[in-house]
Amino acid sequence: MRVQLPKRYWNPVTETLPRDELAALQWGKLQTQLEHLYQHSAFYRQRMDAAGCPPDQIRSLDDYFKRFPILFRDDITKAELEDPPYGTLAAVDPKHAVFHHQTSGSTGAPPIRTFDTARDWTWVSDMWGTALTGAGVREGDRAIAAFGYALFIGFWGAHYGIQRMGAQMLSTGGLDTEKRIELIMDLGVNVFLTTPTYALRVAQVAKQMGVDLAKDSPITLVVTSGEPRPESTRKIVGDAFDAYIADTAGMTEVGTVVMFECVDDPGGMHIIETDVIEEVLDSETREPVGYGEQGVRVMTALGREGISVLRYWTNDLVIKQPHTKCRCGRTWDIYEGGIRGRADHLRKVRGVWFTPIMVEDLVRSKFPDVDEFQIKLAKVQGIDALIIQLEPAIGVPRERYDDLHERFAVEAKRALTLTPEVEVVSPGTLPRFEMKAKRFEDVRQLADR
Amino acid sequence: MASEYEVIALNDDEKERLHRCYDDLMSLSQSKIPSVRAAAREAVASVAQALNGQGLRYELYTNNWSD
Repeated sequence: MRVQLPKRYWNPVTETLPRDELAALQWGKLQTQLEHLYQHSAFYRQRMDAAGCPPDQIRSLDDYFKRFPILFRDDITKAELEDPPYGTLAAVDPKHAVFHHQTSGSTGAPPIRTFDTARDWTWVSDMWGTALTGAGVREGDRAIAAFGYALFIGFWGAHYGIQRMGAQMLSTGGLDTEKRIELIMDLGVNVFLTTPTYALRVAQVAKQMGVDLAKDSPITLVVTSGEPRPESTRKIVGDAFDAYIADTAGMTEVGTVVMFECVDDPGGMHIIETDVIEEVLDSETREPVGYGEQGVRVMTALGREGISVLRYWTNDLVIKQPHTKCRCGRTWDIYEGGIRGRADHLRKVRGVWFTPIMVEDLVRSKFPDVDEFQIKLAKVQGIDALIIQLEPAIGVPRERYDDLHERFAVEAKRALTLTPEVEVVSPGTLPRFEMKAKRFEDVRQLADR
Repeated sequence: MASEYEVIALNDDEKERLHRCYDDLMSLSQSKIPSVRAAAREAVASVAQALNGQGLRYELYTNNWSD
């Protein structure tokens, strides 16, 4: 039975600051950051001078939003190439680093490499303390995080954050899915940190093992991170574990989590606004959009001293809503529906806007007989083609594949307002993922198929 | 909006103790004894975060270390 998780703030004062005091706190921290970066980071000094906005000439948060240049991923990778491994962004000598992490580089782009000082790493774990307390984790809980414990940041910060909170963390880096399920059952693990994709995988494998997670597992809370998570996926995971599902999001560039879903289920994630300033800008004009309008989140991280990102274009698509939408009392605004997709995955296909999360939402909400899928955009005889491969769940008889194909084609046309090519493939054909799933590929620039 | 959460804050005496801890640990962070220096640096990071979390003090201090 789903239990009511406890309600508590990690920092009662700052989580409930009146908005004007919150803005004053942000402005004070930003001034300290700007001065620090101007003094110690060659990259930021050059950037501020070139834009005509050294620290003493930025007069307010609004002035900063108007004049400070936006930082793109390419700017970071170029700066890293200039002075490897960490680049000219660094504002503290890397000899003071106690932690290194980096992106996988699997997209073909150079990886982003970053480090944390002891002070930074404590901030990283404390941010997780904020998020996980809000999600209902407490002293005495026992948790596992499903990731490889390697160079990618994954749940490293959460691992330390849970220890900081006085809860117990079991490291499962080398374990496969079956062993993780056995561990959950044997040791009474009640908090599970995972990507939404891997939560679905665990549910599938448990079923194959004859384990009824909803009925028998001790899990009361599944904390998801690393991918956009449509409501349909949340429902499937929640039902599979009969547990509360709390979403979180962060990124390598800042080293930690910056938003979380609280126990009061606001339908989105609170932004940890004492430690990040989040703007939402139109993806084309880069002008600010208001509450309730979709745009790209642009993040200024206030917590780190080694490598900081100011006005970073994250490519995450979000819709901001005021904090009053939630009854928890936090004065931190909310991203309704969490991260809703990626601006760099947004494509115009035959005149229609398309984003891969639309397919995930369709699969998870209407096709329980589909375990996995892949999406490809290609050129077929000079015309854009959306190709969706579906892998049926184990146990779906082959004679039902044609029916699945037909049903999906009809529903996809309705949901996407596009006619995709649908292929049904054999079970076990498509890749599985532990961390960020890669289900979308745009190969239109390659040779015609 | 009504909230079931408890809002509690440090009193003035606790605030002062926190600041004092921070200052003491910061000075010990430059100790020549490796074990003391390491302990002080780890502890000062935690206390710095407690101050930051309470909105009382925010410093980016590692560049002040001479080593």
